[in-house]
Amino acid sequence: MPARLLQRQISLLEYLTSAGAIFGDGVDVPPVPSLQGFDLAPLRLEACFSHEKRMEKIIAAFARTFELLGDNQATVVRDFVAACPSVDIRRIENARQFYDFACARWETTPPQPPYLRDVASCELAIATTRIKHKARPSQPVATAHTMRFRRNRDAVFLPCTYDIRPIFEGRVTDAPERRDVMLAILIPPDNDQPAIFEVPASVYGLLAELGTWTDRAALGPMEGLDELISDLADHGLLEVTSEAGH
Amino acid sequence: MTLRKPSPAVGIGYRSAIGDWTRDNLAHFDMLEITVDHCISSGEPVASEIFDLVGQIPMTAHGIGLSIGTDVPLDLAYLDKVATIVERLRAPAYSEHLAFTRAPGRDLANLLPLPKTEEVAGSIIAKVRMIQSRIPVPFLLENISYLFEWPESRMTDVEFLNLICRETDAGLLLDVENLYLNAHNHGFDPHAFLNDLPAGIVKEVHAAGGVTVHRDFLARPLLADSHSHPVPDDALDLLDRVLVRHRPDAVVLERDDRLLEFDEIMDDVHRIRARVAAVQSGSLHASTPVAASD
Repeated sequence: MPARLLQRQISLLEYLTSAGAIFGDGVDVPPVPSLQGFDLAPLRLEACFSHEKRMEKIIAAFARTFELLGDNQATVVRDFVAACPSVDIRRIENARQFYDFACARWETTPPQPPYLRDVASCELAIATTRIKHKARPSQPVATAHTMRFRRNRDAVFLPCTYDIRPIFEGRVTDAPERRDVMLAILIPPDNDQPAIFEVPASVYGLLAELGTWTDRAALGPMEGLDELISDLADHGLLEVTSEAGH
Repeated sequence: MTLRKPSPAVGIGYRSAIGDWTRDNLAHFDMLEITVDHCISSGEPVASEIFDLVGQIPMTAHGIGLSIGTDVPLDLAYLDKVATIVERLRAPAYSEHLAFTRAPGRDLANLLPLPKTEEVAGSIIAKVRMIQSRIPVPFLLENISYLFEWPESRMTDVEFLNLICRETDAGLLLDVENLYLNAHNHGFDPHAFLNDLPAGIVKEVHAAGGVTVHRDFLARPLLADSHSHPVPDDALDLLDRVLVRHRPDAVVLERDDRLLEFDEIMDDVHRIRARVAAVQSGSLHASTPVAASD
């Protein structure tokens, strides 16, 4: 194939991922000379199909975010398409692309409602957790207290300005409570759906220390520590093993 | 491993979203088609679910991630992963689409057509030979459905496919739904297409159901390959011809949307089996005109 074909394939894909082709802005003439001779109507249909498929993936990850966007949805999607063409077919990569776009937008235009960024962050964390779980399901938690343990590497810890858990728990609420809260998103042991837990600051401090396998003895004497470790392990926040050498 | 008799084997494309249902109904299928990309990118648990089926049912290997038509060298690391999966599946063949889906900096995730010229065919021929040198089972090319045509195309669909297959000995995975849609959307005779294929070249068949698309910017409604609805009778009529003329090894029902419509899926499998039975009983052969070269 001549090098010219690659250039034309690139031009074609640039056109098919453009807002012009997807939304029909000024598409009566070929956008670039290398697309001369193409019938633009079926190209637009191809562009629409691909866009709809991509947005399906993104909306599946950000269902609550899109619901909260309300009337702003169309504008946000249009601006997203113009700024971020499809570069990867994976769901999670498209979700990340949209999240990065939204966060950048919210730097200059504060999100409405104001807790939208927290909701979007939480939804991305849920999507990421699902992917990690698919790739490597959490191991059953060993019982007992003599173990070595470490923070669950697949858990996402998310500092939020609003306690947005009621939105994800389907609880009817006017608006989430505004307070700084550390949330943990993970798939608990013996479960296949993500859960969201609030992690108190002191507990997060302990978890932050446990990035590598740690012996119980290394933590020294501490009242209630064994119960806390057991509780964290039950919730999947700690991985526990009785084997040495990890 | 060869596909279980009766020939052709009738099965479905495995989708992990309905993996449990598929495993519960394995007895209804002669084979499964595995999308190798799902084994590569979906993580070990999904891949394990698939590999656990080895020995329980024959599986053939299908790809969606090669983008053979992108005008850049093939991704050999990807092909090597495919080769490993094909071996683990004990697949009798590996198929991919005659299409491109991406170019540097863009990935549309949709199968797009190529300019049908001798020059482009030459490039594809070289790539098919490369695939054949790295994957030790027969390689099959699949015809895609396409909405637009490259202005420089100088060959018909069947001329383009025949040229590539003749030069490489690659077989065809013929998607009868795609053939049906393309014939409708681009105004050619699908039966002439079938008659122009050398007898026996079709090794596997895809069947699926699409939708009619109405948009204000289209001069007329177009048919689209959505893999979401029952296979149309017109596509099954094309299957009849394929069965008589090519005696494929496998017929695979593809479904990617409305996956929970299990009755529809099973009904399509039964409709395909009925067509196969009619051909095998000879009744169809006697009543259906086929090319003289049959």
